[in-house]
Amino acid sequence: MPGGRLGRRRAPGGLEAPTWVRLWPLLTAEWRHHPWRHAAAVLAVALGVALAWSVHLINGSALSEFSAAVRSAQGEPDAVVRVAAGDFDDGWLDRLAVVPGVRQASPVVSFETYALPGASGQAPAAPLSKPQDGQRAAIADPDTRALGRVAVRVVAMDALAAAAIAPGALPQPSPAVRARQPLALLDPNLVFLNPAARDRLGLADGQTLALQAGPHWRHFEVGGSVAAAGPPLVVLDIAAAQAGFGLEGRLSRIDLRLAPGVAAADLAGALPPGLVLVPADEAAQRVSNLSRAYRVNLTVLALVALFVGAFLVYSVVALSVAQRAPSFALLGVLGLTAGERRALVLAECALLGLAGSAAGLALGAGLALAALRGLAGDLGGGYFPGIAPALRWDGLGLVVFGALGVASALVGGWVPARRAQSLQPAQALKGLGGGAATVPPTRAALALLALGAGLALLPPVAGLPLAAYASVAALLVGGVALVPGAVQVLLALPRPEGSVLALLAWQRARHQRHTATAAVAGVVASLALSVALTVMVTSFRQGVTDWLDRVLPADLYARTASSAGASAQAWLPQDVLARVQALPGVRRVEASRLRSVALTPGRPPVTLVARDLADPAAALPLVQAPSVPGGLAGSLRGADGPAGAVEPDDGHADLPEAWVSEAMVTLYGAAPGTVLRLPLDEGVLRLRVRGVWRDYARQFGAVAVDRGVYRRLTGDDRVNDLALWLAPAASMDSVQAALRAVAPEPGMLEFAATQDLRRLSLAIFDRSFAVTYYLQAVAIGIGLVGVAASLSAQVLARRKEFGLLSHLGLTRGQVVGVVAGETLAWLAAGALVGLGLGLAISVVLVHVVNPQSFHWTMELVLPWARLAALCAAVLLAGTATAAFSARRAASRAAVLSVKEDW
Amino acid sequence: MAAHPGGAQGMIPHLMLEIHDLSKTYGEAPVFTGVSMRVAAGEFVALLGESGVGKSTLLNCIAGLDEASAGRVMLGGQEVGTMDGDARARLRRARLGFVFQAFHVLPHLDVEDNVGLPLRLLGRRDDARVRRLLEAVGLAGLGARMPAQLSGGQLQRVAIARALAHRPALILADEPTGNLDPATAARVLDVLLAQARADGAACLLVTHSLAAAARADRVLRLTSHGVVPHAAHPGAGVMA
Repeated sequence: MPGGRLGRRRAPGGLEAPTWVRLWPLLTAEWRHHPWRHAAAVLAVALGVALAWSVHLINGSALSEFSAAVRSAQGEPDAVVRVAAGDFDDGWLDRLAVVPGVRQASPVVSFETYALPGASGQAPAAPLSKPQDGQRAAIADPDTRALGRVAVRVVAMDALAAAAIAPGALPQPSPAVRARQPLALLDPNLVFLNPAARDRLGLADGQTLALQAGPHWRHFEVGGSVAAAGPPLVVLDIAAAQAGFGLEGRLSRIDLRLAPGVAAADLAGALPPGLVLVPADEAAQRVSNLSRAYRVNLTVLALVALFVGAFLVYSVVALSVAQRAPSFALLGVLGLTAGERRALVLAECALLGLAGSAAGLALGAGLALAALRGLAGDLGGGYFPGIAPALRWDGLGLVVFGALGVASALVGGWVPARRAQSLQPAQALKGLGGGAATVPPTRAALALLALGAGLALLPPVAGLPLAAYASVAALLVGGVALVPGAVQVLLALPRPEGSVLALLAWQRARHQRHTATAAVAGVVASLALSVALTVMVTSFRQGVTDWLDRVLPADLYARTASSAGASAQAWLPQDVLARVQALPGVRRVEASRLRSVALTPGRPPVTLVARDLADPAAALPLVQAPSVPGGLAGSLRGADGPAGAVEPDDGHADLPEAWVSEAMVTLYGAAPGTVLRLPLDEGVLRLRVRGVWRDYARQFGAVAVDRGVYRRLTGDDRVNDLALWLAPAASMDSVQAALRAVAPEPGMLEFAATQDLRRLSLAIFDRSFAVTYYLQAVAIGIGLVGVAASLSAQVLARRKEFGLLSHLGLTRGQVVGVVAGETLAWLAAGALVGLGLGLAISVVLVHVVNPQSFHWTMELVLPWARLAALCAAVLLAGTATAAFSARRAASRAAVLSVKEDW
Repeated sequence: MAAHPGGAQGMIPHLMLEIHDLSKTYGEAPVFTGVSMRVAAGEFVALLGESGVGKSTLLNCIAGLDEASAGRVMLGGQEVGTMDGDARARLRRARLGFVFQAFHVLPHLDVEDNVGLPLRLLGRRDDARVRRLLEAVGLAGLGARMPAQLSGGQLQRVAIARALAHRPALILADEPTGNLDPATAARVLDVLLAQARADGAACLLVTHSLAAAARADRVLRLTSHGVVPHAAHPGAGVMA
């Protein structure tokens, strides 16, 4: 078949050449003729590809680096064994050693704490910046370097056992230490630092290091180095760690070397009851899981730029096809088939996409390199602390993101290509239209909107809101396709008879409504995205503001640790509380105890918060419980969490009560009406779930219990956080000074006034979301370029019509006014659709994407004044753009075109 | 022809159009030079000329849609060349009517709205006149139709009705029958002449058709060096 759908024609010599190759001079001539217009399209594709590719590279490099750091710190055991959650008795070691297939077992103790250089342990007290761990937008980790204390992970091992399993993680004593102490690795007074710890603490071999152990500092000599990369790491002998940090007889995990021929999976059935086999890369998996939703959200946000870029390609190619309608018509008369015309346009788009992808991949790699150097791979989520990753290439990703760029250009060029295909050569040669515009059927648009609504109701897939993202895409495409229908509805109103210009604009806008989609599609898409992001950010910010009001009722806060993990070693004794209560200027004190509780392997631990809960409704921001897939039965199966963390509440037992964060419900099914089982060192704590509260600080779950009940059940009366209400005349500074005086060590406390915490948290929030405002501006800018390109195309196609108006006596300004009026009518319809669409998408973002990604909810807040201003700005800018583009409508060429009768 | 305005020797009636030594060049290439002519109120003048000699360009210069390189155009006593763009547009709106070869009706307005457009541009609505004109051009009852529903001959009659709607003093018709078959062309020309005469409008008809030109009071020929009377026509030489 010559030509036709494949766009190929057999040459006389028998060789086949694609249409675009045979017509290459036409393509290059078009590009040479309008270099800037095509450069804009290439740039739009390049920006989208660059953003998505750089985010992918940065996240991939950071994750890879973090995993490598974990592996180098942990070694590469054949298997890792521990109890279901928390620490465990080291008696398990003996039982494990006799399990068939286990050749060697290496016990490990691991915990987080703080380190100080020097022997004094005296660190200057400094303001507390932000509380808690696992947070994203509202609160992030403090710079503990400013406090003097450095957050470190301590790994303690039996050097003799570890040598065979994790040789890379084995300490390297300094020559001096090796000379004086042949068994340095077993010396309980020596610690070994990895490069990050040495850098942050500024310590050389032989100097003294203090590690916090509760209210005390334990002092060690720096005996050498550990090669492990990653965050600050301190390695010491396991016996010294158990003795010095209150972990006598306790282990965190046991690393195993198996006999030849024995696989880790074979071992599972042979383990003593109580022990569980966890993946050797569990820590890396945990970090991957921790950051996964954030990474996917970032990638989706970057792909939005590619999506909007497709609209610009559409506008540019539509303009190009409209301009070349006579050329296509002539080619058609000369024998180019309809399919070949479409293939020609698509080939142009593919070349645009290829150029954009190539530039985008290069730009993205550059951006990633810069980000890795400047931000150490942390794109704002704070999930990869303490690493300095190198750029890691991903060949498959390179191909995928390059293909995405080409695909976006092809998608953008599809409609203009179809237009070139459907062009009637004879008609076009007479100047009677450049091919029928494709009219998106209203029914299909409504079906897409319904599909979008339906997808939003689906649960997450593999813990990610994939259906919700598909819902947003369906809503966007359906909404854009609905524009002609909206124009029809809007212009069904009585036409303006008073002004002939308004009448002309009105009639034209109604009659040509099918072209409205082409003109304002980009504006609808960008306005919808802007409205959705504005509503989402406003709702989240209002939610955080309200939440801060509820969770920060006191005047002043003091804390011992910035994360629940470190709170195990950084705490104050109970007697400090009484002394603080007696301080002058202190009216009231409430103490909290934080504990990190691992409920399931591979998932970040949840935080147990023991605090005064005499009136839970006043103390906690209680909310309605989110729904659990499968209802209560789903809860009891543990939702997607581990079986056994939640059990049915028979209502008989006299159980202590707990209030859980929303993440506990969605991740573990711990809804009201269930009993939560928390495995602590002291035993399993069974808590009746009474209510649900909102927690924007801990993405992976928190459980609040009354501190009095907690102390009674566990005997643990340690304190991590203090909330202080001051007397009216009290001085904040003097109270802080007095608090330092009563603390065992002044440097163990961080302080912050409530106003400072609020201001800092909201500032971090605003900084985190600043990028969304830039994205909105870029999206609207691209949308307006689309309006300009589309109107330019229409002005070209309609130049005889405008020429006639000039003949009839319309002034230049009036002709421009008619075009601007038409566009205003379309933009008004587009703005209405964009606003409605944006509100619908914002509902999906607020009520589906956020809870499914981050496991917290928020109320929908509609900032009407800002939304109205946004719509007005788009209308104004769009109309001005239209007027600018319409200048050619009143040009001499348009006037003379009425004579082009062919 | 003696009874026709402007037809009598030595009696110059009110002049609608007066052109003095008009030249037009594109860059270095001259289109025409030394064009002078007059058209009296109510007079029907046909203008012949070879393709590319500048007939349409001359019409555009008369209407103030194109700039002459030299010379003057006086339209109803007003010099077009001294007006700014808006003033020229107002002049066209009030005093000129156009008929084109390719009809040029607005596709998104129905027939009545197309015909009534010049009146609306002048801030007037006269539905009765629009209906009378449609009746006169043989389109009674078709006012609600859209242009896409009409034939070529019907579209040209819509254009003629539109050109006459606001009672212009001068109609500029640029090959108005060029796209029509001879029978339809004759009917359309009949309508144009009858209505123009009924309203007392002058008409300058650019055409290649000698048959069409034969209907005019005078026939002129445009050459690259000016306008000359068309020798074969009875009114040759008058007021050129």
